[in-house]
Amino acid sequence: MKTLRNPLSRVSRSLVFGAVACLSLAGNAHAAGTTVRGTVKMPDASRSTRLYHGYWRLENGNVPVQTAGGAKAETVVVLENVKGAHPPSARTITIELGGLDARPRLVITGPGSVIELKNTGKVRHELSTPDKPEVMHLETLAPGQTRRQRFDAIGDYVIRDSEYPHIMICVLVVGTTYFSAVDDKGSFSIANVPDSTATLKVWARGKWVAEQQLETGSLGKEELTIKVVSQREREKAEQEAKAAE
Amino acid sequence: MFLSKIFFILLALAAAIAATFAVIAPRPFERRMGTLEGQRLDRAQYAAEQMFKVDAHKWIDHVGKLGRDAIIAESLDAASRGSGEYTVIHRTIQDRFRTLIPDLASGGIDSIVALDTKGRVIARVGENEKEYGDYIGGAEIIADALRGYLSDDVWGVNGRLQRLAAAPVLSKNRDRMVGAVYVSAETGPALVERLKRNLDVDVALLLRGKVIASSRGPGELDALPDLLTRHAKEIETAKRTQPILMTVGKQDVIVVAAPFPGQAGEQQAFYALVGEHPANNGITALFANATSDDLKWGVFPWLKLAAGMFGAIFVGLALQRMEHDSPIGRLRRELQKLASGDVHKIQDSSYGGKVGGLARDINAAVERFTHAPTQRSDIAGKDLNAILGPSGGSTFDLPAADSAFSGGGPAPAFAPPPSSGFAPPPPPSSFAAPPLPTFAPPPVPTFSAPQPFNAAALGFGGNSSGSDGGAAMAAEETRQDPLPLPGTTRASAWGQPAPSAPEYEPPANSDGDATRVVPYDEEEEEEAHFRHIFDDFIAKKRDCGESTVGLTRDKFLQKLRDNKASLVAKHNCRTVRFSVYVKDGKAALKATPIRE
Repeated sequence: MKTLRNPLSRVSRSLVFGAVACLSLAGNAHAAGTTVRGTVKMPDASRSTRLYHGYWRLENGNVPVQTAGGAKAETVVVLENVKGAHPPSARTITIELGGLDARPRLVITGPGSVIELKNTGKVRHELSTPDKPEVMHLETLAPGQTRRQRFDAIGDYVIRDSEYPHIMICVLVVGTTYFSAVDDKGSFSIANVPDSTATLKVWARGKWVAEQQLETGSLGKEELTIKVVSQREREKAEQEAKAAE
Repeated sequence: MFLSKIFFILLALAAAIAATFAVIAPRPFERRMGTLEGQRLDRAQYAAEQMFKVDAHKWIDHVGKLGRDAIIAESLDAASRGSGEYTVIHRTIQDRFRTLIPDLASGGIDSIVALDTKGRVIARVGENEKEYGDYIGGAEIIADALRGYLSDDVWGVNGRLQRLAAAPVLSKNRDRMVGAVYVSAETGPALVERLKRNLDVDVALLLRGKVIASSRGPGELDALPDLLTRHAKEIETAKRTQPILMTVGKQDVIVVAAPFPGQAGEQQAFYALVGEHPANNGITALFANATSDDLKWGVFPWLKLAAGMFGAIFVGLALQRMEHDSPIGRLRRELQKLASGDVHKIQDSSYGGKVGGLARDINAAVERFTHAPTQRSDIAGKDLNAILGPSGGSTFDLPAADSAFSGGGPAPAFAPPPSSGFAPPPPPSSFAAPPLPTFAPPPVPTFSAPQPFNAAALGFGGNSSGSDGGAAMAAEETRQDPLPLPGTTRASAWGQPAPSAPEYEPPANSDGDATRVVPYDEEEEEEAHFRHIFDDFIAKKRDCGESTVGLTRDKFLQKLRDNKASLVAKHNCRTVRFSVYVKDGKAALKATPIRE
């Protein structure tokens, strides 16, 4: 049976991959070293292509459903604190908002970059960074309008649309060029990482969901498995640890 | 009095306990009612959640059926492939929707939308049905439908809540997806009314910090968004709140809130169930809320209440009568008897408590007044009763040594008793008339009284009547005071009768007439005194209604003589004077020893 793929998700994912791959190649072309590869295992609840669920989500029973794309495509692995790493160069990235979606939804860039938000749809958007309101305050973006925002400081910024909460644009301003997007199966690969201690962090669904220390020189061809625990599991583990104490 | 006090203390305690119960009892009841109302809201919230689930499933089924319609499927297939006239396809799908669902409003549907595989709107029915061609495939529920899922969602757009259900549209051969269909229904006042009708609680819908629909009055629940913001953490973890107490105007209400699912949950979209908090159940509220039914015979224990009340009154009155009224009445009767002389004292041993103390105090007072000691003598008079037997009287003290009776000077034999500090025995009137009825003057005319002893000055010669002796003495006293003894004149002033003088010859005048001197015979005078006492005693006995049978003069006089002799011997006094008085309604005698 032939499986049809959602063209929108395919476009979105290819854009994200494209952006991340270009940045990765640009940053790592001059270096040679270890390739850090592995798999990110997301919790069951985070494997959905949706951020928000209703009461029901049923398969149609006739045609196989597509399980790729959507929120799943917005997972990225970043290696921080790598010896000799430098931030990506600043640039201007245009994000189109249309068809009740944003393309791309995840941007990894260097400090000083400008994000250009362009409303190509027929509905207005109210965009802001609720967690860091000093960066982007709430502002209505009417159809056809463009809003530009410069990000100077290294950090993570989540632009939300209060009218359409599923529209979540993640801007990661990093100080390293060692990062990689995660494919549908959760696999990632970061090439030419110098031998060094590093911090591997996983970004998914608008937040850092995992973090671990690495000794890149000792990895060799070993494939990492990064298991992301859900917030509920994490809270449960913390409670059990407290109880054990 | 003890039992009465205990009873009243117990009664006050019972009243205090009853009042305490009346004040406290409603509070646990109120808490219990609040808890029950909270539990009812919990159940209502669960029921509402199940209702939303059922609704969502119903919408999904509904939209799934639309997606299986052949005309819609073929039209969307053509639109997705880009074949056919776009406007024609649009109209075809619209007409098909209207055919399948002729009345959207009756089905609670706001709009039905058909999309091709790119997420482009091909046709709308209902809201904005003239608009088509826009892309909305980025919406998660649409994207999910184009992936092959049937799902639901809740949106909060333009200040309105919308529940949506979407389903994929499969090709005629059921081998691929050719588009999607979704229906939307506004979740506003209609849903609120439906929930209120089904759950019997007030309902409010909130979106982005505002109450967008409520079954209560406008503005009543304006504080609800802030309240839920304070419970955001609880809502995030438990997907609902515990019952929260909230004040609406002057009324307290209980609120249970839960978030809507889907992306509206991110927009602070909640449904809140509002229940009445039990009214303030203080005493005032209890009385205010009581109805006539609560006071009916079958409901209110009137008989028990009346029995208890009258029982308490009866017990109180009985105790008061037993411990207060009855003893006081008895004491009063005994006091009346004491006043009338029927009894000598009160039987204080028969009284208890303070009444007994009162009786003892009265007895002590009576005793004190009856047996008051003289100031100057510690020698008690002798009760003639002890001498004469049952007819004896009480006693009185022997006169003081320096009185007129003491013989300190040349006092007459019948000098009145000393006045200073002398408490005459009751009744003093019996003593006021000392009997000297027939005093025969001694035949010796040559008796010469000493100068201070002036018979006339003592009233012996002034008047033959003993009763007038005092007055005569008073008259003489104004004329001259030959006697230095104050007791003599004071006796007159006290009204004490002077002994009757014998026949009196006025003294010789200045022209030399001889003064007649009456000789004094002590034995004869004593005999006369005894006879007078006998006569007086007989008279007093008759006055008192006593019998005088068997009481002869000779025996009486002999008895007096014997007693006089024994008293003189015992007290070493010159003589003894008797007097008659009434005691306890009976005639009695008193003996007064007379010293020199």
